[in-house]
Amino acid sequence: MDKSVIVCKCEEVNIDEIETALKTGARHFDDVKRLTRCGMGPCQSKLCGGLVRRVISEYRNVSISEVEPPKKRMPISMIRLKALATDKEATKVISVFKESVSGVSRS
Amino acid sequence: MSRQYDVVVIGSGVVGSSIAYHLSERKTKKVAVIDKGFILTGTSGSTQAWVWVHNKTPSWYGELSMYSAELYPTLKKRIGDVEYKRTGGIAPFFDEKDREHALRLAEMQEKVGIDVKVLTREELLEKEPFLSEKAAGATYSDIDGNVNPFRLVELYTKAAKKNGVDFSFYNPVTEIRRDKGYYQIRTEKEGVFTAKQIVLAGGVWTGELGRMLDITIPVKQVRGQILVTEPLEPFIQTTIAGVRQAENGEVLIGYSKEEVGYNRQTTLDVMQETAGMALDYFPVLAEANVVRCFSGVRVIPKDGLPILGQIPGMENAYVAVTHSGVTLSPLIGTLMTELVMDRETSLDLSKMSLSRFERSAAGELIV
Ligand SMILES: Cc1cc2nc3c(=O)[nH]c(=O)nc-3n(C[C@H](O)[C@H](O)[C@H](O)COP(=O)(O)OP(=O)(O)OC[C@H]3O[C@@H](n4cnc5c(N)ncnc54)[C@H](O)[C@@H]3O)c2cc1C
Ligand code: FES
Repeated sequence: MDKSVIVCKCEEVNIDEIETALKTGARHFDDVKRLTRCGMGPCQSKLCGGLVRRVISEYRNVSISEVEPPKKRMPISMIRLKALATDKEATKVISVFKESVSGVSRS
Repeated sequence: MSRQYDVVVIGSGVVGSSIAYHLSERKTKKVAVIDKGFILTGTSGSTQAWVWVHNKTPSWYGELSMYSAELYPTLKKRIGDVEYKRTGGIAPFFDEKDREHALRLAEMQEKVGIDVKVLTREELLEKEPFLSEKAAGATYSDIDGNVNPFRLVELYTKAAKKNGVDFSFYNPVTEIRRDKGYYQIRTEKEGVFTAKQIVLAGGVWTGELGRMLDITIPVKQVRGQILVTEPLEPFIQTTIAGVRQAENGEVLIGYSKEEVGYNRQTTLDVMQETAGMALDYFPVLAEANVVRCFSGVRVIPKDGLPILGQIPGMENAYVAVTHSGVTLSPLIGTLMTELVMDRETSLDLSKMSLSRFERSAAGELIV
């Protein structure tokens, strides 16, 4: 196949770039993702996931089931920030400023 | 099968790969890096990647971060474009009463040469016009910025390889033994590596590596979750503590801390709180779409400060484990190379020694 064929449309990543990542030792979808950005676009690998895994499995000469798929995370599709937000008192998200000045009073 | 090296580095995250690269620049020792995954499968692949200095305390730790940030501009010439940007860094506060704390912080940092300004609301909005008017002010410094963590680790490893370092990926280290002055490092896939010197740079798993040597390395696992928006027109100029806009326009939002072990899931409650924080900072983000979310496990030594240096009582074995590894990586690579090669360092590492954690009579570590 022509190496310049784009396999991830959102991030415009072609086969050649995927193979360059594989050459350095990448094995799974997320390894390649971190090096090429494939799968990080708006569709979150829904369009390119299968195709990229096929390119990986052919290059590595293993069956496609041995190539781990991208890790699935929320949101399933795009969501507006205001729809996600709560104004509940945050307990796990903290202020960097507050954290740093608590260091000042400590020392 | 036995593989012989002068130095074996365990871990190829930002810390291990920087150490390997800096060692390789000397071109005198045979170096290998072993990783149970691939580059960026650990914490270095799921980080905010601020190169952050100005409010790090105690001030000697801030000072250390500053020296590291100062090494960043030259990295481009040495390993290639890591997309480092010294944007200036802002930590906003929302309560006017906090100004007093901010001034104390600035005063303290000044003593070690970190220039921190305390901004009025007007000065803050001039720098960041889209920031919420509810902000009362902020601490600010020119020294802060951010970097592309993927490019950074990729280019450290690429430069190291070019200088002759061998990398062994997807190869967990399962046992380390000391035998006649050499370390025997048993791996799952490629047998035993033999090395004169070893460096433990296993990030959040460094405690497990320590146990292989009967050493306690007290680190905590602290999860952080980050929201990423669709690419937006550039509207954030600086690096804001909690929110930054990447070169491609995506906004990375988050500063959460949870101690849930190695669990790297993302959870709805933290995503919601994080979205809430985003709106407190930038009301204009209300209409922006969140496209993804990621989570990483910070490795934080029990007292919050880096553990760096020789392992007490164990010749030729070294450890480098720290939070803010992205910020500190150029300096850690430099100092660890001095230590491993020259046995002395240009900065005093004694405050960062593992020996600061003492044992109680019951054998418990005291921090
Ligand atoms: C959400 C979040 C935001 C952050 N934001 C920032 C920031 O803005 N600025 C900043 O400076 N820092 C930040 N950090 C911290 C920073 O990302 C970490 O300090 C840094 O990535 C740690 O690098 P490391 O090389 O020590 O660890 P890792 O990247 O985890 O690398 C350790 C490597 O060791 C390998 N390993 C472990 N055990 C073994 C074994 N037995 N055999 C073989 N290999 C092994 C692992 O596979 C791994 O690849 C953040 C962290 C998180 C989670
Ligand atoms: S096509 Fe790859 S992320 Fe959308």
